[in-house]
Amino acid sequence: MKIGNVLSPPPASLRAAAAAAAHCRYPYGPWPHHPILAVSHNHITAFMQQQQLPARHDKMENRLPLSPHHILHAGCRNAKVSRLKAAFWESIRSGFMKNNTIQVTESPSTIQEEEEMLPDEFVLVEKTLPDGVVEQIVYSSGGDVDVYDLQALCDKVGWPRRPLSKLAAALRNSYTVAALHSIRKSAGEEGSADKKLIGMARATSDHAFNATIWDVLVDPSYQGQGLGKALIEKLIRTLLQRDIGNITLFADSQVVEFYENLGFEADPEGIKGMFWYPRY
Amino acid sequence: MAAVATSAYSSCIPANFLHSPLKITNQISSPPPLYISTNPSHVNPSHLQHLYALCNHSCHRFPKLDSDGRVELIDVSKLRTALSNSSVVVSVFTKPELANDLSSTAEVGTRSMGIGGNWIQRVMPVTPDNGKLVGFGRAVSDLGLTASIYDVMVIPSLQGRGIGRRIVQRIIRMLTGKGVYDISALCSEKEGLFFKACGFGEDILGSTTMMYTGTSSCPDAHQTAIYAGRKLLLSPPSRQ
Repeated sequence: MKIGNVLSPPPASLRAAAAAAAHCRYPYGPWPHHPILAVSHNHITAFMQQQQLPARHDKMENRLPLSPHHILHAGCRNAKVSRLKAAFWESIRSGFMKNNTIQVTESPSTIQEEEEMLPDEFVLVEKTLPDGVVEQIVYSSGGDVDVYDLQALCDKVGWPRRPLSKLAAALRNSYTVAALHSIRKSAGEEGSADKKLIGMARATSDHAFNATIWDVLVDPSYQGQGLGKALIEKLIRTLLQRDIGNITLFADSQVVEFYENLGFEADPEGIKGMFWYPRY
Repeated sequence: MAAVATSAYSSCIPANFLHSPLKITNQISSPPPLYISTNPSHVNPSHLQHLYALCNHSCHRFPKLDSDGRVELIDVSKLRTALSNSSVVVSVFTKPELANDLSSTAEVGTRSMGIGGNWIQRVMPVTPDNGKLVGFGRAVSDLGLTASIYDVMVIPSLQGRGIGRRIVQRIIRMLTGKGVYDISALCSEKEGLFFKACGFGEDILGSTTMMYTGTSSCPDAHQTAIYAGRKLLLSPPSRQ
Protein backbone atom coordinates (compact mmCIF):
# COMPACT_ATOMS: atom_id res chain seq x y z
CA MET A 1 0.00 0.00 0.00
CA LYS A 2 1.45 3.35 -0.90
CA ILE A 3 -0.10 6.03 1.24
CA GLY A 4 2.05 9.03 1.86
CA ASN A 5 0.07 11.03 4.31
CA VAL A 6 -0.03 9.97 7.93
CA LEU A 7 -2.83 10.39 10.41
CA SER A 8 -4.71 13.55 11.16
CA PRO A 9 -5.29 14.22 14.85
CA PRO A 10 -8.75 15.35 15.94
CA PRO A 11 -9.32 19.11 15.63
CA ALA A 12 -8.57 21.28 18.62
CA SER A 13 -12.25 22.18 19.03
CA LEU A 14 -13.06 18.56 19.92
CA ARG A 15 -10.44 18.49 22.63
CA ALA A 16 -11.60 21.76 24.18
CA ALA A 17 -15.14 20.42 24.44
CA ALA A 18 -13.87 17.40 26.31
CA ALA A 19 -12.85 19.74 29.17
CA ALA A 20 -12.88 17.77 32.40
CA ALA A 21 -13.92 14.53 30.81
CA ALA A 22 -10.46 12.92 30.97
CA HIS A 23 -9.01 11.22 27.96
CA CYS A 24 -9.99 9.39 24.84
CA ARG A 25 -7.78 7.70 22.34
CA TYR A 26 -8.66 7.72 18.70
CA PRO A 27 -5.70 9.05 16.78
CA TYR A 28 -7.18 8.39 13.36
CA GLY A 29 -9.79 11.10 13.12
CA PRO A 30 -13.47 10.31 12.71
CA TRP A 31 -14.69 6.92 11.51
CA PRO A 32 -13.55 5.16 9.39
CA HIS A 33 -10.14 4.88 10.96
CA HIS A 34 -8.20 4.48 7.76
CA PRO A 35 -6.12 7.63 7.08
CA ILE A 36 -6.77 7.72 3.35
CA LEU A 37 -10.50 7.75 3.91
CA ALA A 38 -10.67 10.30 6.72
CA VAL A 39 -11.31 12.83 3.99
CA SER A 40 -14.12 10.92 2.31
CA HIS A 41 -15.78 10.29 5.68
CA ASN A 42 -16.05 14.02 6.30
CA HIS A 43 -18.02 14.28 3.10
CA ILE A 44 -20.28 11.48 4.24
CA THR A 45 -20.99 13.00 7.67
CA ALA A 46 -21.60 16.42 6.16
CA PHE A 47 -24.06 14.88 3.74
CA MET A 48 -25.78 12.90 6.50
CA GLN A 49 -26.12 15.92 8.73
CA GLN A 50 -27.69 17.86 5.94
CA GLN A 51 -30.26 15.20 5.29
CA GLN A 52 -31.22 14.21 8.83
CA LEU A 53 -32.81 15.95 11.79
CA PRO A 54 -30.79 15.69 15.02
CA ALA A 55 -33.48 13.56 16.63
CA ARG A 56 -33.03 10.84 14.06
CA HIS A 57 -29.27 10.94 14.20
CA ASP A 58 -29.00 7.75 16.22
CA LYS A 59 -31.19 5.76 13.89
CA MET A 60 -29.18 6.82 10.86
CA GLU A 61 -25.97 5.75 12.55
CA ASN A 62 -27.49 2.32 12.98
CA ARG A 63 -28.18 2.07 9.30
CA LEU A 64 -24.65 2.96 8.31
CA PRO A 65 -22.65 -0.17 7.72
CA LEU A 66 -20.70 -0.97 10.85
CA SER A 67 -17.84 -2.64 9.06
CA PRO A 68 -15.24 -0.17 7.79
CA HIS A 69 -14.44 -2.57 4.99
CA HIS A 70 -17.54 -1.48 3.13
CA ILE A 71 -16.42 2.12 2.70
CA LEU A 72 -12.75 1.15 2.58
CA HIS A 73 -13.10 -0.60 -0.71
CA ALA A 74 -15.89 1.39 -2.27
CA GLY A 75 -14.64 2.63 -5.59
CA CYS A 76 -11.55 0.41 -5.49
CA ARG A 77 -10.97 -2.34 -7.96
CA ASN A 78 -11.44 -5.89 -6.65
CA ALA A 79 -13.56 -4.52 -3.83
CA LYS A 80 -15.51 -7.68 -3.32
CA VAL A 81 -12.46 -9.92 -3.51
CA SER A 82 -10.55 -7.86 -0.96
CA ARG A 83 -13.49 -7.90 1.41
CA LEU A 84 -13.87 -11.65 1.11
CA LYS A 85 -10.15 -12.14 1.57
CA ALA A 86 -10.14 -9.97 4.67
CA ALA A 87 -13.09 -11.84 6.15
CA PHE A 88 -11.45 -15.16 5.32
CA TRP A 89 -8.17 -14.31 7.04
CA GLU A 90 -10.04 -12.74 9.94
CA SER A 91 -11.92 -15.96 10.57
CA ILE A 92 -8.75 -18.02 10.36
CA ARG A 93 -6.90 -15.74 12.73
CA SER A 94 -9.73 -15.55 15.24
CA GLY A 95 -10.15 -19.31 15.13
CA PHE A 96 -6.43 -19.74 15.64
CA MET A 97 -6.36 -17.38 18.61
CA LYS A 98 -9.38 -19.05 20.20
CA ASN A 99 -7.73 -22.46 19.98
CA ASN A 100 -4.59 -21.17 21.60
CA THR A 101 -6.45 -19.72 24.56
CA ILE A 102 -8.10 -23.05 25.19
CA GLN A 103 -4.75 -24.81 25.22
CA VAL A 104 -3.07 -22.49 27.65
CA THR A 105 -5.75 -21.84 30.29
CA GLU A 106 -5.72 -24.18 33.28
CA SER A 107 -8.94 -25.04 35.11
CA PRO A 108 -7.91 -24.24 38.69
CA SER A 109 -6.90 -20.69 37.90
CA THR A 110 -10.08 -20.08 35.90
CA ILE A 111 -12.25 -21.14 38.83
CA GLN A 112 -10.31 -18.88 41.13
CA GLU A 113 -10.70 -16.00 38.72
CA GLU A 114 -14.44 -16.49 38.50
CA GLU A 115 -14.70 -16.26 42.26
CA GLU A 116 -12.75 -13.04 42.34
CA MET A 117 -14.46 -11.46 39.38
CA LEU A 118 -17.86 -11.12 41.06
CA PRO A 119 -19.06 -7.75 39.84
CA ASP A 120 -19.40 -4.90 42.26
CA GLU A 121 -22.48 -2.81 42.42
CA PHE A 122 -23.40 -0.20 44.97
CA VAL A 123 -25.06 3.17 45.32
CA LEU A 124 -22.64 6.07 45.38
CA VAL A 125 -25.00 8.98 45.87
CA GLU A 126 -28.68 9.23 46.57
CA LYS A 127 -30.66 12.41 46.61
CA THR A 128 -34.21 13.64 46.28
CA LEU A 129 -34.86 16.19 43.58
CA PRO A 130 -37.23 19.13 44.16
CA ASP A 131 -40.04 17.42 42.20
CA GLY A 132 -40.03 14.41 44.52
CA VAL A 133 -38.05 12.17 42.20
CA VAL A 134 -35.37 10.12 43.91
CA GLU A 135 -32.12 9.90 42.00
CA GLN A 136 -29.51 7.26 42.73
CA ILE A 137 -26.10 7.16 41.18
CA VAL A 138 -25.05 3.54 41.01
CA TYR A 139 -21.54 2.26 40.43
CA SER A 140 -21.27 -1.11 38.72
CA SER A 141 -18.30 -3.04 37.43
CA GLY A 142 -20.26 -5.80 35.80
CA GLY A 143 -19.66 -4.39 32.37
CA ASP A 144 -23.35 -3.86 31.65
CA VAL A 145 -22.72 -0.92 29.37
CA ASP A 146 -24.88 -0.61 26.31
CA VAL A 147 -22.65 0.34 23.40
CA TYR A 148 -25.25 2.74 21.96
CA ASP A 149 -25.56 4.53 25.32
CA LEU A 150 -21.80 4.76 25.42
CA GLN A 151 -21.66 6.21 21.92
CA ALA A 152 -24.24 8.82 22.91
CA LEU A 153 -22.24 9.68 26.03
CA CYS A 154 -19.06 10.03 23.98
CA ASP A 155 -20.91 12.43 21.69
CA LYS A 156 -22.00 14.46 24.70
CA VAL A 157 -18.46 14.99 25.91
CA GLY A 158 -17.34 15.77 22.39
CA TRP A 159 -15.14 12.81 21.57
CA PRO A 160 -14.49 11.69 17.99
CA ARG A 161 -16.78 8.99 16.72
CA ARG A 162 -15.44 5.45 16.74
CA PRO A 163 -16.89 2.42 14.96
CA LEU A 164 -19.53 0.73 17.09
CA SER A 165 -18.18 -2.75 16.39
CA LYS A 166 -14.77 -1.73 17.70
CA LEU A 167 -16.30 -0.11 20.76
CA ALA A 168 -18.29 -3.26 21.49
CA ALA A 169 -15.21 -5.47 21.05
CA ALA A 170 -13.17 -3.17 23.29
CA LEU A 171 -15.78 -3.34 26.07
CA ARG A 172 -16.05 -7.09 25.75
CA ASN A 173 -12.32 -7.67 26.03
CA SER A 174 -11.53 -5.18 28.76
CA TYR A 175 -10.54 -6.53 32.14
CA THR A 176 -12.83 -4.14 34.01
CA VAL A 177 -15.55 -1.87 32.74
CA ALA A 178 -16.75 0.40 35.51
CA ALA A 179 -19.92 2.34 34.84
CA LEU A 180 -21.99 4.98 36.58
CA HIS A 181 -25.72 4.94 36.00
CA SER A 182 -28.27 7.44 37.19
CA ILE A 183 -31.52 5.79 38.26
CA ARG A 184 -34.51 8.03 38.73
CA LYS A 185 -37.62 6.77 40.47
CA SER A 186 -40.71 8.87 40.99
CA ALA A 187 -41.79 8.87 44.62
CA GLY A 188 -44.54 6.30 45.23
CA GLU A 189 -44.39 4.77 41.76
CA GLU A 190 -43.21 1.19 41.84
CA GLY A 191 -41.48 -0.52 38.95
CA SER A 192 -40.78 2.29 36.53
CA ALA A 193 -37.28 3.66 36.79
CA ASP A 194 -35.28 5.79 34.41
CA LYS A 195 -31.76 4.39 33.99
CA LYS A 196 -29.16 6.48 32.22
CA LEU A 197 -25.46 5.96 31.65
CA ILE A 198 -23.59 8.96 33.01
CA GLY A 199 -20.00 7.77 33.37
CA MET A 200 -17.58 5.04 32.46
CA ALA A 201 -13.98 3.95 32.82
CA ARG A 202 -12.38 0.81 31.51
CA ALA A 203 -9.06 -0.92 31.96
CA THR A 204 -7.27 -3.60 29.98
CA SER A 205 -4.94 -5.92 31.82
CA ASP A 206 -3.02 -9.15 31.68
CA HIS A 207 -4.59 -9.99 35.06
CA ALA A 208 -1.20 -10.29 36.70
CA PHE A 209 1.19 -7.37 36.37
CA ASN A 210 0.02 -4.59 34.08
CA ALA A 211 -3.14 -2.60 33.57
CA THR A 212 -3.88 0.40 31.38
CA ILE A 213 -6.85 2.66 31.96
CA TRP A 214 -8.59 3.94 28.84
CA ASP A 215 -11.70 5.95 28.07
CA VAL A 216 -12.61 7.75 31.26
CA LEU A 217 -15.66 9.95 30.85
CA VAL A 218 -18.43 11.54 32.89
CA ASP A 219 -21.55 13.23 31.54
CA PRO A 220 -20.92 17.00 31.51
CA SER A 221 -24.08 17.71 33.48
CA TYR A 222 -22.84 15.45 36.28
CA GLN A 223 -19.27 16.67 36.36
CA GLY A 224 -17.76 18.53 39.27
CA GLN A 225 -19.35 16.27 41.89
CA GLY A 226 -16.41 13.96 42.45
CA LEU A 227 -17.95 11.16 40.40
CA GLY A 228 -14.93 10.80 38.11
CA LYS A 229 -12.70 10.66 41.14
CA ALA A 230 -14.83 7.93 42.69
CA LEU A 231 -14.77 5.96 39.43
CA ILE A 232 -11.00 5.98 39.18
CA GLU A 233 -10.41 5.34 42.87
CA LYS A 234 -12.65 2.30 42.84
CA LEU A 235 -10.96 1.05 39.68
CA ILE A 236 -7.53 1.41 41.25
CA ARG A 237 -8.67 -0.34 44.40
CA THR A 238 -9.96 -3.24 42.33
CA LEU A 239 -6.68 -3.52 40.45
CA LEU A 240 -4.52 -3.30 43.56
CA GLN A 241 -6.63 -5.95 45.23
CA ARG A 242 -5.65 -8.30 42.42
CA ASP A 243 -1.99 -7.40 43.01
CA ILE A 244 -1.70 -5.62 39.68
CA GLY A 245 1.03 -3.10 40.30
CA ASN A 246 1.69 -1.34 36.98
CA ILE A 247 -1.31 0.92 36.42
CA THR A 248 -0.84 3.25 33.49
CA LEU A 249 -2.87 5.76 31.58
CA PHE A 250 -2.31 8.35 28.85
CA ALA A 251 -3.83 11.65 29.85
CA ASP A 252 -4.73 14.70 27.82
CA SER A 253 -2.97 17.84 28.96
CA GLN A 254 -6.05 19.32 30.64
CA VAL A 255 -6.63 16.33 32.89
CA VAL A 256 -3.06 15.66 34.04
CA GLU A 257 -3.75 17.58 37.25
CA PHE A 258 -6.92 15.56 37.88
CA TYR A 259 -4.93 12.34 37.84
CA GLU A 260 -2.06 13.79 39.84
CA ASN A 261 -4.52 14.46 42.62
CA LEU A 262 -5.55 10.82 42.49
CA GLY A 263 -2.03 9.51 43.02
CA PHE A 264 -0.71 9.29 39.48
CA GLU A 265 2.70 10.58 38.49
CA ALA A 266 3.62 11.88 35.06
CA ASP A 267 6.62 10.20 33.41
CA PRO A 268 7.81 8.52 36.61
CA GLU A 269 11.59 8.01 36.53
CA GLY A 270 11.68 8.95 32.89
CA ILE A 271 9.29 6.24 31.76
CA LYS A 272 7.43 7.34 28.66
CA GLY A 273 4.72 5.86 26.54
CA MET A 274 5.49 5.48 22.87
CA PHE A 275 3.08 4.77 20.07
CA TRP A 276 3.35 3.01 16.77
CA TYR A 277 3.56 5.21 13.71
CA PRO A 278 2.25 3.26 10.73
CA ARG A 279 4.53 3.80 7.77
CA TYR A 280 3.35 2.55 4.45
CA MET B 1 12.16 -11.54 4.11
CA ALA B 2 10.30 -14.77 4.74
CA ALA B 3 6.79 -13.45 4.42
CA VAL B 4 4.57 -16.38 5.19
CA ALA B 5 6.73 -19.03 6.82
CA THR B 6 7.27 -18.68 10.50
CA SER B 7 10.50 -20.64 10.43
CA ALA B 8 13.25 -18.30 9.32
CA TYR B 9 15.94 -20.68 8.24
CA SER B 10 18.90 -18.62 7.18
CA SER B 11 21.15 -19.40 4.25
CA CYS B 12 24.20 -20.03 6.40
CA ILE B 13 23.92 -23.79 6.18
CA PRO B 14 25.65 -24.36 2.81
CA ALA B 15 28.53 -22.07 3.80
CA ASN B 16 29.08 -23.86 7.12
CA PHE B 17 28.83 -27.18 5.42
CA LEU B 18 31.88 -26.40 3.29
CA HIS B 19 34.15 -25.67 6.25
CA SER B 20 35.42 -28.45 8.47
CA PRO B 21 33.19 -29.02 11.47
CA LEU B 22 36.06 -28.36 13.88
CA LYS B 23 36.34 -24.73 12.78
CA ILE B 24 33.88 -23.19 15.25
CA THR B 25 34.89 -19.76 16.44
CA ASN B 26 33.76 -17.98 19.58
CA GLN B 27 32.00 -15.27 17.64
CA ILE B 28 29.12 -16.61 15.55
CA SER B 29 29.29 -14.32 12.51
CA SER B 30 26.40 -15.70 10.45
CA PRO B 31 22.82 -15.21 11.72
CA PRO B 32 21.50 -18.11 13.78
CA PRO B 33 18.55 -20.10 12.45
CA LEU B 34 15.44 -18.92 14.26
CA TYR B 35 11.91 -20.17 14.79
CA ILE B 36 9.52 -17.32 15.54
CA SER B 37 6.26 -18.53 17.00
CA THR B 38 3.04 -16.70 17.77
CA ASN B 39 1.48 -19.71 19.44
CA PRO B 40 1.29 -19.17 23.22
CA SER B 41 1.34 -22.90 23.90
CA HIS B 42 4.92 -23.07 22.60
CA VAL B 43 6.09 -21.11 25.61
CA ASN B 44 7.13 -23.10 28.65
CA PRO B 45 6.52 -20.83 31.67
CA SER B 46 9.57 -22.03 33.59
CA HIS B 47 11.82 -21.56 30.55
CA LEU B 48 10.31 -18.09 30.22
CA GLN B 49 11.04 -17.40 33.88
CA HIS B 50 14.66 -18.34 33.18
CA LEU B 51 14.72 -16.05 30.14
CA TYR B 52 13.49 -13.12 32.25
CA ALA B 53 16.34 -13.81 34.65
CA LEU B 54 18.93 -14.07 31.85
CA CYS B 55 17.81 -10.76 30.40
CA ASN B 56 17.56 -9.21 33.86
CA HIS B 57 14.02 -8.09 33.01
CA SER B 58 11.33 -7.55 35.59
CA CYS B 59 7.58 -7.44 35.23
CA HIS B 60 7.49 -4.57 37.67
CA ARG B 61 8.30 -1.19 36.17
CA PHE B 62 10.21 -0.22 39.30
CA PRO B 63 11.93 -3.44 40.26
CA LYS B 64 13.82 -4.11 43.42
CA LEU B 65 17.49 -4.62 42.58
CA ASP B 66 19.87 -6.65 44.70
CA SER B 67 23.51 -5.71 45.32
CA ASP B 68 24.53 -6.99 41.85
CA GLY B 69 21.83 -4.94 40.15
CA ARG B 70 19.83 -8.06 39.31
CA VAL B 71 16.06 -8.28 39.55
CA GLU B 72 14.32 -10.88 41.64
CA LEU B 73 12.96 -14.06 40.08
CA ILE B 74 9.50 -13.68 38.64
CA ASP B 75 6.53 -15.61 40.01
CA VAL B 76 5.82 -18.50 37.62
CA SER B 77 2.11 -18.78 38.37
CA LYS B 78 1.62 -15.05 37.83
CA LEU B 79 3.59 -15.38 34.62
CA ARG B 80 1.28 -18.15 33.50
CA THR B 81 -1.73 -15.93 34.18
CA ALA B 82 -0.16 -13.05 32.31
CA LEU B 83 0.58 -15.29 29.33
CA SER B 84 -2.93 -16.68 29.09
CA ASN B 85 -4.36 -13.17 29.19
CA SER B 86 -2.07 -11.64 26.62
CA SER B 87 -3.63 -11.18 23.21
CA VAL B 88 -0.35 -11.71 21.38
CA VAL B 89 2.55 -13.87 22.52
CA VAL B 90 5.69 -14.06 20.38
CA SER B 91 8.52 -16.43 21.21
CA VAL B 92 11.83 -16.97 19.43
CA PHE B 93 13.74 -20.24 19.47
CA THR B 94 17.12 -21.20 18.18
CA LYS B 95 19.43 -24.21 18.30
CA PRO B 96 20.61 -24.86 21.87
CA GLU B 97 24.29 -24.85 20.94
CA LEU B 98 24.03 -21.39 19.38
CA ALA B 99 22.19 -19.89 22.32
CA ASN B 100 24.82 -20.38 24.96
CA ASP B 101 26.25 -17.43 26.77
CA LEU B 102 29.83 -16.47 25.98
CA SER B 103 31.03 -18.14 29.19
CA SER B 104 30.20 -21.63 27.97
CA THR B 105 31.55 -21.65 24.41
CA ALA B 106 33.79 -24.56 25.33
CA GLU B 107 30.73 -26.76 25.05
CA VAL B 108 30.29 -25.78 21.42
CA GLY B 109 33.70 -27.13 20.42
CA THR B 110 33.06 -30.56 21.85
CA ARG B 111 29.94 -31.04 19.79
CA SER B 112 31.85 -31.97 16.66
CA MET B 113 31.98 -35.74 16.58
CA GLY B 114 33.78 -36.17 13.29
CA ILE B 115 33.06 -35.33 9.65
CA GLY B 116 29.53 -36.72 9.47
CA GLY B 117 28.45 -36.57 13.13
CA ASN B 118 27.55 -32.91 13.23
CA TRP B 119 25.66 -33.00 9.93
CA ILE B 120 22.32 -34.15 11.34
CA GLN B 121 22.28 -31.43 13.98
CA ARG B 122 23.09 -28.77 11.43
CA VAL B 123 20.35 -29.59 8.95
CA MET B 124 17.60 -30.31 11.49
CA PRO B 125 15.27 -27.35 11.49
CA VAL B 126 14.67 -25.50 14.73
CA THR B 127 11.31 -26.17 16.38
CA PRO B 128 9.94 -25.00 19.72
CA ASP B 129 10.43 -28.54 21.03
CA ASN B 130 14.09 -28.95 20.19
CA GLY B 131 15.06 -25.28 20.35
CA LYS B 132 15.97 -23.02 23.21
CA LEU B 133 13.88 -19.97 24.04
CA VAL B 134 15.97 -16.91 23.35
CA GLY B 135 13.48 -14.14 22.64
CA PHE B 136 10.05 -13.09 23.76
CA GLY B 137 7.47 -10.35 23.49
CA ARG B 138 3.81 -10.00 24.32
CA ALA B 139 0.95 -7.54 23.97
CA VAL B 140 -2.30 -6.99 25.81
CA SER B 141 -5.19 -5.66 23.78
CA ASP B 142 -8.92 -5.11 23.92
CA LEU B 143 -8.98 -6.39 20.32
CA GLY B 144 -10.97 -3.39 19.24
CA LEU B 145 -9.28 -0.08 19.81
CA THR B 146 -5.99 -0.25 21.69
CA ALA B 147 -3.03 -2.46 22.58
CA SER B 148 0.04 -2.29 24.82
CA ILE B 149 3.30 -4.12 24.23
CA TYR B 150 5.17 -5.55 27.22
CA ASP B 151 8.28 -7.48 28.07
CA VAL B 152 10.18 -7.58 24.79
CA MET B 153 13.50 -9.32 25.42
CA VAL B 154 16.35 -11.20 23.74
CA ILE B 155 19.17 -13.00 25.54
CA PRO B 156 22.28 -10.84 25.85
CA SER B 157 24.48 -13.00 23.61
CA LEU B 158 22.08 -12.61 20.68
CA GLN B 159 21.24 -8.95 21.14
CA GLY B 160 21.99 -6.36 18.52
CA ARG B 161 21.08 -8.59 15.59
CA GLY B 162 17.60 -7.35 14.86
CA ILE B 163 15.82 -10.19 16.65
CA GLY B 164 14.06 -7.80 19.02
CA ARG B 165 12.90 -5.73 16.10
CA ARG B 166 11.51 -8.80 14.39
CA ILE B 167 9.60 -9.67 17.55
CA VAL B 168 8.04 -6.21 17.65
CA GLN B 169 7.22 -6.32 13.96
CA ARG B 170 5.51 -9.67 14.41
CA ILE B 171 3.46 -8.33 17.32
CA ILE B 172 2.42 -5.31 15.26
CA ARG B 173 1.45 -7.52 12.35
CA MET B 174 -0.72 -9.68 14.60
CA LEU B 175 -2.43 -6.63 16.06
CA THR B 176 -3.04 -4.80 12.80
CA GLY B 177 -4.37 -8.05 11.40
CA LYS B 178 -7.06 -7.83 14.08
CA GLY B 179 -7.77 -4.22 13.22
CA VAL B 180 -5.95 -2.64 16.15
CA TYR B 181 -3.75 0.27 15.13
CA ASP B 182 -3.35 2.21 18.36
CA ILE B 183 -0.36 0.35 19.81
CA SER B 184 1.49 1.65 22.84
CA ALA B 185 4.66 0.60 24.63
CA LEU B 186 5.86 1.79 28.01
CA CYS B 187 9.60 2.50 27.84
CA SER B 188 12.50 3.58 29.95
CA GLU B 189 15.09 5.71 28.17
CA LYS B 190 17.05 2.75 26.82
CA GLU B 191 13.94 0.88 25.75
CA GLY B 192 12.73 4.09 24.12
CA LEU B 193 15.69 4.06 21.73
CA PHE B 194 14.90 0.47 20.79
CA PHE B 195 11.23 1.19 20.14
CA LYS B 196 12.10 4.30 18.17
CA ALA B 197 14.12 2.09 15.84
CA CYS B 198 11.07 -0.15 15.54
CA GLY B 199 8.93 2.71 14.31
CA PHE B 200 7.47 4.08 17.54
CA GLY B 201 7.37 7.70 18.52
CA GLU B 202 5.78 10.17 20.88
CA ASP B 203 2.02 10.28 20.93
CA ILE B 204 0.62 12.36 18.08
CA LEU B 205 -2.24 13.33 20.38
CA GLY B 206 0.29 14.75 22.83
CA SER B 207 -0.89 12.76 25.84
CA THR B 208 1.10 12.46 29.05
CA THR B 209 2.07 9.04 30.31
CA MET B 210 1.08 8.62 33.93
CA MET B 211 1.53 5.73 36.31
CA TYR B 212 -0.03 5.11 39.68
CA THR B 213 2.57 5.59 42.36
CA GLY B 214 0.13 5.89 45.23
CA THR B 215 1.43 9.16 46.58
CA SER B 216 -1.98 10.25 47.73
CA SER B 217 -2.45 13.65 49.29
CA CYS B 218 -4.61 12.42 52.16
CA PRO B 219 -3.15 9.42 53.98
CA ASP B 220 -5.63 7.16 55.64
CA ALA B 221 -4.93 4.89 58.58
CA HIS B 222 -6.96 2.03 57.12
CA GLN B 223 -5.42 2.10 53.66
CA THR B 224 -4.22 -1.15 52.16
CA ALA B 225 -0.98 -1.26 50.26
CA ILE B 226 0.81 -3.61 47.89
CA TYR B 227 4.40 -3.84 46.80
CA ALA B 228 5.08 -3.55 43.09
CA GLY B 229 8.82 -4.06 42.85
CA ARG B 230 10.30 -1.42 45.10
CA LYS B 231 7.30 0.87 45.03
CA LEU B 232 4.75 0.69 47.80
CA LEU B 233 1.39 1.50 46.28
CA LEU B 234 -1.22 2.85 48.66
CA SER B 235 -4.80 2.06 47.84
CA PRO B 236 -7.07 5.11 47.58
CA PRO B 237 -9.23 5.62 50.68
CA SER B 238 -12.74 4.22 50.44
CA ARG B 239 -15.35 6.80 51.25
CA GLN B 240 -19.01 6.36 52.12
